[in-house]
Amino acid sequence: MATVVLKNVKKIYNGGVLAVHDFNLSIKDKEFIVFVGPSGCGKSTTLRMVAGLEDISEGECYIDDVLVNDRPPKERGISMVFQNYALYPHLTVYENMAFPLRLLRGKEKMSNDEIYERVTDAARILGITQYLARKPKNLSGGQRQRVAIGRAMVRPSKVFMMDEPLSNLDAKLRNQMRAEIILLRKKIDSTFIYVTHDQTEAMTLGDRIVIMKDGFIMQVGSPTEVFDRPANLFVAEFIGAPKMNTFPAKLVKEGKKYHVECFGCKLPVEGEKADELAAANIETMDVILGVRPEHMVFSEKAGDGLIPCEIAVNEMMGSEVHLHVNTLDNPDKPTSLIVRIPTVGLTTAQRQNLVAGTKIYIGFEGKVMHFFHPLSIEDQVLQNVAARKEKGMSAEGIAKIADMGEEKARDLIQELIAKELLADHKGRYVVTPAGKVEAEKIKDTNLLYGPGEEAAASQANI
Amino acid sequence: MADNNTNRKPTPMEALEAENQKNGMGLKARRRIGNAVSYVVLILISIVWLAPFVFLIFQSFEVSSTGWSSRVWPKQWGFDNYVYLFSANANFNRWYFNTFIIALFCCIGQTLMQIAMAYVLSRFRFKMRKPLMNFMLILGMFPGFLTMIILYTVLKDLGMTGANAVPGLILVSIASSGMGYYVIKGFFDTVSKSLDEAAMIDGATRAQVFIKVILPLTKPIIIYAILTSFMAPWGDFIFASYIAFGNPNGYNVAVGLYEWLGTEQISYHYTHFCAGGVVVSIPVIVLFLMLQRYYVEGVTGGAVKG
Repeated sequence: MATVVLKNVKKIYNGGVLAVHDFNLSIKDKEFIVFVGPSGCGKSTTLRMVAGLEDISEGECYIDDVLVNDRPPKERGISMVFQNYALYPHLTVYENMAFPLRLLRGKEKMSNDEIYERVTDAARILGITQYLARKPKNLSGGQRQRVAIGRAMVRPSKVFMMDEPLSNLDAKLRNQMRAEIILLRKKIDSTFIYVTHDQTEAMTLGDRIVIMKDGFIMQVGSPTEVFDRPANLFVAEFIGAPKMNTFPAKLVKEGKKYHVECFGCKLPVEGEKADELAAANIETMDVILGVRPEHMVFSEKAGDGLIPCEIAVNEMMGSEVHLHVNTLDNPDKPTSLIVRIPTVGLTTAQRQNLVAGTKIYIGFEGKVMHFFHPLSIEDQVLQNVAARKEKGMSAEGIAKIADMGEEKARDLIQELIAKELLADHKGRYVVTPAGKVEAEKIKDTNLLYGPGEEAAASQANI
Repeated sequence: MADNNTNRKPTPMEALEAENQKNGMGLKARRRIGNAVSYVVLILISIVWLAPFVFLIFQSFEVSSTGWSSRVWPKQWGFDNYVYLFSANANFNRWYFNTFIIALFCCIGQTLMQIAMAYVLSRFRFKMRKPLMNFMLILGMFPGFLTMIILYTVLKDLGMTGANAVPGLILVSIASSGMGYYVIKGFFDTVSKSLDEAAMIDGATRAQVFIKVILPLTKPIIIYAILTSFMAPWGDFIFASYIAFGNPNGYNVAVGLYEWLGTEQISYHYTHFCAGGVVVSIPVIVLFLMLQRYYVEGVTGGAVKG
């Protein structure tokens, strides 16, 4: 049994930088959990807090129901693979792998024969037996990675951690190693925590994925859940490649039926989505509509419910074509969309015609739509000002972002200052710490699968 | 084939050469003259630099000494001066032993202090770390002999002056050695911190991390620390001279040999001084030759990578 529980864990660096904010997660025994997010989202910091390489500023971390906040790494029963492999350059591969075993004391102490057996077993599984006598500098990147995994494997541990283990490898090797990690996981049969910024790795490896942004958990769920039911716009755009198309639209309720209005078209909502909207009793409202590029279809002829577009860029990927198109409904402010088309269904003529400047029509079905609350003007302003950090923003800039007159913008600024979310620094406005927390909370939640449901699920696990 | 050669477009290098020839001098000729000038200057500098050593070595074999001579080549060759050095009449044995003991203890003590200091400043993050480093940098800018008077008073109270100058000198050298951490810290900084972290996760304590991972990887700089801390006491004069305070039993070789150069003694001891100079440099040369490979690696490694 090796469960890991994190309760209200926070990491605040010297100088008040908030790296991880109120992290709650319960990892089950033998579960493969992946922390994923853009760089600086706090995923590695969280892992390092579990490993004992960083102090936990607030909150509690339990491994196997034992509070480990103040325990050194070696007493936590963990092993870890580092992004830069962290092999000891002065030791041979064999000695690198035997290193953790030679440090065992007391009841766990191993004889040289036992160490030999364990190391050679691990080497056999990883296919590095022939390199045991070499020094790390004489190995390729992939071989080094295997040695690093081997060193983590031989040590009896409860939790196996990996901090971006594949990010230093080239694309081909990364795919190969990813497959090997899946196989390895079956052999090791331990609890895994895996950190990556690559959503493909997260989707293929994890039993559950924790998606993070700016120190906040955005969503916790299985790969299918986070793909099909993203909790907010960030998750929706982060998971899936190319990223989901999102654009403003109007969701209209007509009797018991729903439809959306966008780009001058009227598209009915169908299937489960329509049922779920009805069940949640959603009224007519402005929304951000999300549609994945692979769920869009194209036509060369106009038709009912098809959006006229012009191709801006054509990316030929071999098995599929990524078309970057601009909508033609408003020539002054076109919306950019991406459409992913499998090449197998295209004729040679079609392939040749899909070039920049060609007019095409795209459409999507009602059952593939995702609906998000649009960001309020306040949130937009806070997020933008927060992005400028200490430099802040002028009232003019804020008026531009809020898309309103300067006088109106000044009212909004006063309102935000009154709420203590914004502060005035000689005519430039910066967010307060409270404002920063507010800005980092992504409010453009999914109408149907908002964080409420996820947070409840996460709490229930604890 | 011949046509091809004549019609061929000249390469940029050839074009440049042709241009230079037009202007009067070829590129190769210019390079040759430049090299010749450099070599002449270098040889002159070497002669100036090496002449005293050569002079010293030759004079140490001079038997019929009557003091300072302008001869380089000895009139009569022999090992008499060397025999005298280690005879009961001379105090040289004592000075040599004193210096060796000081060097040995300083070598151990200073190296330990310096690597401990460097490791802490390289790996630990604590509140006053930066101010402490700045403070030591500023402190290091003052010449060491400014502390002479207070150090003498303290050592005198401790009974470590005069004939007991050896422990006093060891104490003074080791006590201030932590400040010489810069180069070693620079080298430690080049060892990735993730190695420390990996070792700690593998079950090592801080001490084990240091001994099993950091030390083997920083061998060159440790050797450098050993070498420099061994060599410094051999040439130390100011501290050694005033702490011994005229008591020949407390002298190190530098002070003792300098004594021989006094106006009253120079005529008798001049060639002994030369022989002493040669003997003093032997252990340092031997040590340096043995460890020179690491020394060079240590100095450049720390400086460039850091």
